[in-house]
Amino acid sequence: MEKQIFSSSISPLSIVQMNDVFASYDSKNYVLQNIRMSIQRGTNYAIVGQSGSGKSTLLKLINGMMNPSNGTVKVNYQTPNFHEKSFKKFIAKIGYIPQNLGLVKNTTVLENVMIGALPRLGSFKSFFKIFPDKEIADAYNILKMVGLDDKAERKTYMLSGGERRRVAIARALMQKPDLLLADEIVSELDHVTAIEIMDIISDAQKKFELTSIMVHHDMNLALEYANRVAVIKKGEKILEIGVEGDEIVDFQTGNLTQKEILEQYNESEK
Amino acid sequence: MNQKNNLLVGIVIAVVAVMSFDVGVDPIGFFEGLPNLGIVLKEMTEFEGDHWQTAFWAMLETIEMAFIGTVIGVAIALPLSLLASRNLNSKFVYAPVRALLAAARTFPSILWAILFVIVVGLGPFAGILAITLYTIGFISKLQYESIEAVDNVPVEATSAIGLTKLQLIRYVIIPDSAPHLISQILYMFDYNVRQTSILGIVGAGGIGFYIINYIKFFEYGKAAVFMLVVLATVLVIDWISVKVRDRYIVKSQTGMQIKI
Repeated sequence: MEKQIFSSSISPLSIVQMNDVFASYDSKNYVLQNIRMSIQRGTNYAIVGQSGSGKSTLLKLINGMMNPSNGTVKVNYQTPNFHEKSFKKFIAKIGYIPQNLGLVKNTTVLENVMIGALPRLGSFKSFFKIFPDKEIADAYNILKMVGLDDKAERKTYMLSGGERRRVAIARALMQKPDLLLADEIVSELDHVTAIEIMDIISDAQKKFELTSIMVHHDMNLALEYANRVAVIKKGEKILEIGVEGDEIVDFQTGNLTQKEILEQYNESEK
Repeated sequence: MNQKNNLLVGIVIAVVAVMSFDVGVDPIGFFEGLPNLGIVLKEMTEFEGDHWQTAFWAMLETIEMAFIGTVIGVAIALPLSLLASRNLNSKFVYAPVRALLAAARTFPSILWAILFVIVVGLGPFAGILAITLYTIGFISKLQYESIEAVDNVPVEATSAIGLTKLQLIRYVIIPDSAPHLISQILYMFDYNVRQTSILGIVGAGGIGFYIINYIKFFEYGKAAVFMLVVLATVLVIDWISVKVRDRYIVKSQTGMQIKI
């Protein structure tokens, strides 16, 4: 009965819906196979797997940077397509943090954050870096949230790894996103900094009622912060679990304890 | 492998020898003629002091020409190099722009100077036009190459959220290629001062006019004054550009190398 949840029927609440998706970079080897996924609004969704398992590709399918070779992807009920005007409008509200963050190193923190607002600002005024006062105030508020308001004028290349991630989060939040995609945002950080960064994201999620899809390497982190976790192995989704309180539910095999989930995950890593 | 290399070196030497014979390279003539160089050098040391002032003003004119040419050339080259970048445009845009830029760069500025002397007459203006044109061709090549080398991750990340191309250029491409641009402009100015120094030979203004005329009339002492001023100026400009580069460029680039 639980299987119904991620069957191909389109749920009215789902923000991302994938049906039998195959993806490939060279039309020979599939990076993703047979992916079915339904992500409800307001979910903190985590995708966990080894490097090379296709996690990043999954995010690229969602924001339209890549097209599936088979199957359908629906984001906000539409097929991601950069040339479609209505999707372009929506894409401005998909906060996207790639694995290498994609910050412009030679400009200030504030300018990097303002990039998030650019899609909704006029091309002409923004070319001369003229911003409405409200947008600048918003940027400072967001910088305060991530704890960087005192470094707004600092050049980005001068920041530490943790601070750069805060800038990337601030840029994504500046998009006033409906959906936040983050690719291994804390993988290279030490544990304490990783927790700090995750807490910032978690606070932002509550404040802005965000749906988030985050790729993780660390299962423990995913279980702690997400309320749904999908495990990807060699391009296939092998497990999808819901986390509520301390109870974990596997939609494929029934109830499991956290310990069993971790064991199963560790097994899949081998 | 080693034998192959030896063969290759042998072939190159043989080719140089054959070509030298073809164009009439004459080592004996060189050594026989060396005493003449001695005479020229001796006469050059007999400076004619009252020419320093003329030399100074002529050099100033040269620098002004080079400066105007560099600034206007760079201003025109920047938008053209954006059009010539393969990562920003379709083939139909960058291919013709590149062809145009290649044409501007094919001829040395002295040839352009001859052309512009015919167009606008003798004087510095013809020289400025020549320098501008050459600068456009040269710096836009350097610039579109550094634009194409811009880190792809920020470009992808910002395109993914729907930035327009103009915004992408303004907020990602230009900031990321700016350190190279400053370095290139300094180099170009340096190069243009040296180029402008000889444009006078074809009557396009600048200090070269004096040098070529004094040499023609065997007044090596006078020519030497002007040549020394050029040398001193080039050294000073070189020194200044090293300082500027240290101050602005090296700093930001070491910054960029910091790994997370």
